[in-house]
Amino acid sequence: MIFHVNHKTYEVDLVGHETLLEVLRDKLGLTGTKTSCMESECGACTVMIGGKGILSCITLAANVAGEPITTIEGLADGENLHPVQQAFLDYGAAQCGFCIPGMIMASTALLTQNPHPTREEMEYALDGNICRCTGYLKIFEALREAGDKMSQLKAPRESALYQYIPAVSSTP
Amino acid sequence: MLLNPLTFHAPKTVEEAIELYSTLGEVRLLAGGTFLLNSLKLLKKRGIKTPQHVISLRKISVLQGVKVTGDTLTIGAMTVINDLFSSPHLTDNFAILRTVCRNISTNPIRNMATVGGNLTSRYTWTEMGAPLIALEAVMHFCGTNHTTESITVEDFFKNFAKTEKILTHITIRRDPAAALAYQRVKKLSDVDVPLLAVCIRTHFNDGCFTRTRASINCTTSFAKRDLVLEEFLNGKKTANGIAQEALAHLDTSIYDTRSDDYKKSMFRISIKKAIEDLTRRGQT
Repeated sequence: MIFHVNHKTYEVDLVGHETLLEVLRDKLGLTGTKTSCMESECGACTVMIGGKGILSCITLAANVAGEPITTIEGLADGENLHPVQQAFLDYGAAQCGFCIPGMIMASTALLTQNPHPTREEMEYALDGNICRCTGYLKIFEALREAGDKMSQLKAPRESALYQYIPAVSSTP
Repeated sequence: MLLNPLTFHAPKTVEEAIELYSTLGEVRLLAGGTFLLNSLKLLKKRGIKTPQHVISLRKISVLQGVKVTGDTLTIGAMTVINDLFSSPHLTDNFAILRTVCRNISTNPIRNMATVGGNLTSRYTWTEMGAPLIALEAVMHFCGTNHTTESITVEDFFKNFAKTEKILTHITIRRDPAAALAYQRVKKLSDVDVPLLAVCIRTHFNDGCFTRTRASINCTTSFAKRDLVLEEFLNGKKTANGIAQEALAHLDTSIYDTRSDDYKKSMFRISIKKAIEDLTRRGQT
């Protein structure tokens, strides 16, 4: 089956029962997406499909073959971090860091659609991502900063995310 | 691997899906996957046999989307909760669905879970049942040999949500004069399991409740109407204090009788709040 992950194309042999989380980590080596609760409670495995945050632990990989998938590895452009990643660093929004890939993916999905969310909109968008360290305040501050940066780019909302993704298409 | 081996099918038409569904043994339909995947994992963990075949409905485009034709709202069975939430068609009596969607689980779940999956997963506590009964919604199914079946959501749940057919869409008639209230009580834990959802639809005639439908979702039984509450409310003036009075007129057999006092108290508070909400609107 063909997978389009982070603007790269991969051909993967599947039996049919593999979750997207397993394919990303075990077959494609994209271990930034975290394995945690594995029952859709914590959000650590969040990736984006078509710009929406979804849980890869309850997604059958075969079900999303051929669709544009973005993982945490797909956000930075070489050495240049995505504004959401940079803001998380600048604001100290990560402590142990385990939830952060999922948190950043959910945040990016929100800010791509709405760069200036209210606090309530942030809470609503991140209600599926659990962080046991930060208390969320610094995360919300980071989102505000990242949203400002993303909106300054004056790009159409739907394509804002892809400015940071190198347009590479290859089969490893 | 988290799941037992299975054969995955991704039909592109409803007809293909029905053909597979009727011919394959040990098969489950996959809508959003938020119930199915977790239940397959759990079965594997407990050493219980899991279905050999999974038929995904994701690639069947006609099952997706929300539209209005004349006075009828049509919701495709594979419409995800967040897409229903953001639909511009949710006006008049349909608008209550925005409140319902907003309160379902968490954002990634709302990005994945579908309206059809919520209705047909056969979990008693899923949220869509109560509001769709209040809205007098109709479920439309396709079966083998192009047979179709339409059944009210109320009757579907009376039949314990059993079906051998594939749900294609849900329809609701517009009712601009209706007033609706919705309340939901959730369990305070990491897993979002609603303990109670209550939806009351009514009309006001000379300051009185008329044509009231009160439907309840509880953890122990499928969504159903509280006919005792409806009977009490109909014909009553929208006066202050009516909500408190109504609490003495509930069909207690449909609520979760196993619940502790706190939960029972929360049920009563939610029902009271829903009636108070309607009373305020009836008085203006």
